[in-house]
Amino acid sequence: MNPIRDAWQSIVRRDPLSTDKGKSELVFLNVWLHIHPAKVRKEHFKLKHTWYLGFITFFLFLILVTTGVALMFYYRPQSPQAYQDMKDLQFVVFLGPFLRNMHRWSAHGMVICVFLHMCRVFYTGSYKKPRQFNWVVGVLLFLLTLGLSFTGYLLPWDQLAFWAITVGTNIGSYAPLVGSRLRELMLGGHGVGESALLRFYVLHVAVLPSLVVLLTMVHFWRVRKDGGLSRPLWKLKPASSTPLVTIDAPANPGLAVAVVPAVKDKTYGLMEVVTGKPLFETVTEEEEEDTVFSYPFAFFREAVALLATVTTVMAVSLFWNAPLEELANPAKTPNPAKAPWYFLGLQELVSHSALLGGVVVPGLAVLALLAIPYLDSNPSRRPAERKWAIWAFTLFVVVNIVLIVIGTLFRGPGWALVPPWVHISGAE
Amino acid sequence: MSQQEKNNAMNRRSFLNWGAAGLAALWAAIGVSLGAVVRFLSPSVYYEPPLDFKIGHPGDYAFGLPTFLAEEKIFVFRDREKGFAVASGVCTHLGCTVGYFQSDASFHCPCHGSVFRGDGSVQHGPAPRPLEWFEVTLARDGQLKVDKDHVVPGSYRLMV
Repeated sequence: MNPIRDAWQSIVRRDPLSTDKGKSELVFLNVWLHIHPAKVRKEHFKLKHTWYLGFITFFLFLILVTTGVALMFYYRPQSPQAYQDMKDLQFVVFLGPFLRNMHRWSAHGMVICVFLHMCRVFYTGSYKKPRQFNWVVGVLLFLLTLGLSFTGYLLPWDQLAFWAITVGTNIGSYAPLVGSRLRELMLGGHGVGESALLRFYVLHVAVLPSLVVLLTMVHFWRVRKDGGLSRPLWKLKPASSTPLVTIDAPANPGLAVAVVPAVKDKTYGLMEVVTGKPLFETVTEEEEEDTVFSYPFAFFREAVALLATVTTVMAVSLFWNAPLEELANPAKTPNPAKAPWYFLGLQELVSHSALLGGVVVPGLAVLALLAIPYLDSNPSRRPAERKWAIWAFTLFVVVNIVLIVIGTLFRGPGWALVPPWVHISGAE
Repeated sequence: MSQQEKNNAMNRRSFLNWGAAGLAALWAAIGVSLGAVVRFLSPSVYYEPPLDFKIGHPGDYAFGLPTFLAEEKIFVFRDREKGFAVASGVCTHLGCTVGYFQSDASFHCPCHGSVFRGDGSVQHGPAPRPLEWFEVTLARDGQLKVDKDHVVPGSYRLMV
């Protein structure tokens, strides 16, 4: 009797990893790893197809949860303690500035990576049937990411926070009929004050992260259920009409049990009693040779992506500090008062018209994003066959970037158009 | 099926009726719960400064240049001939605090560049409405009293 071996075997029940069975069991006997397939196609590792952007986004979210929980130990969502706590984090708390920097820069990174991930999925046509719904889940996750950034922005309770949220929630109040009611619900009052700080805190640390976790689970699940990671275009076979053959039941010739493609393939069927058309995944022998075990090939690459993400965020956090302005002062609006950079495109629109730029245009843009997989009925994923879609989406991306650049670099005091190389004396 | 069982069995019509009633009750419960959630999130008490407040004695204010009260976000104008008027310092666009510029006697918003004339009307920029003017009265103790709940026309003046 060897209690240590018994204990180990009660935890790890798989065969040794030197065997193929062990490699498979590592994946599907493990609650954390079983979201992976036991074997993956080699082509999924191709950097220039996915750029690992989904993984990186998820890893940034993990960093945000970890550093966020750490920051919560030293933060009180009250005025003016919130700002005092920020100062403590900046000057007193061991590793405080570093953790705050990591949290801030990962948040920015997550906004960028979610957006790039969305662009990647669009340009590779990976939102097409049967992945339409997962695109919708992805757009919702993008909106939640922006919501998390927005609610997190108020928490330092400095000038930037106060005025960014004042402007942001006032944009919401232009929504027809429910606008001012919506703003009151969001703020728990008629202006940005104590109750707004508490509400945004609860949204930021509990409500929105839970929703992100739930939707991320759906997102990952659907990746598997919709046929795994999308395959690079250059691996797609030209659509061919494969002849079908009917397979008879072995014991009862003449009783058809399935209709399958007549090629020298292995056909895996869902061997259960179901009504309707049976579901088959056909894997050619050549394709099967193209797969490798997730352990160690996929896990190693994911670990590298994780390490690279964490290292990059840490390196950036060592050298650049997250900004913290003066204590929030409701009486004095900084000039110019700017929202966080990812909302500056929105602020630029709003500076022309609050209703049109703050509600109508962004509302339609979100609806259009959500509807893309259903509006785009073109089944082809090849760029040459979907020029119109690519032009439209590129226009959307370019307009976004141009608006953000104008708002960030070309807007001076009083929101006047000022090139970044002109210095205005006396401007704050 | 015996006669007894037939009597006890629910017929198709009453099953559907009960089912429909049950579904209706379920939807009603969901609706009421949603309403309750919204009501729960709407504070019953606002711990905010009152909308009407006193701002001191008329003698505290100089003629000419308006006085900006930061806490209340109002501009107090005092004119030798016309008397007192109180303008809101909150931009009607997105709620930033405007500044008053003596040079061109106008209000400028730092957020999106709205400019209001001295009478509060929009000169240019994205602001959809003129700045608000609030009722100002003389309280019994001789102090000026401003009521932000009472918006008055820009021509409103209090002679003291």
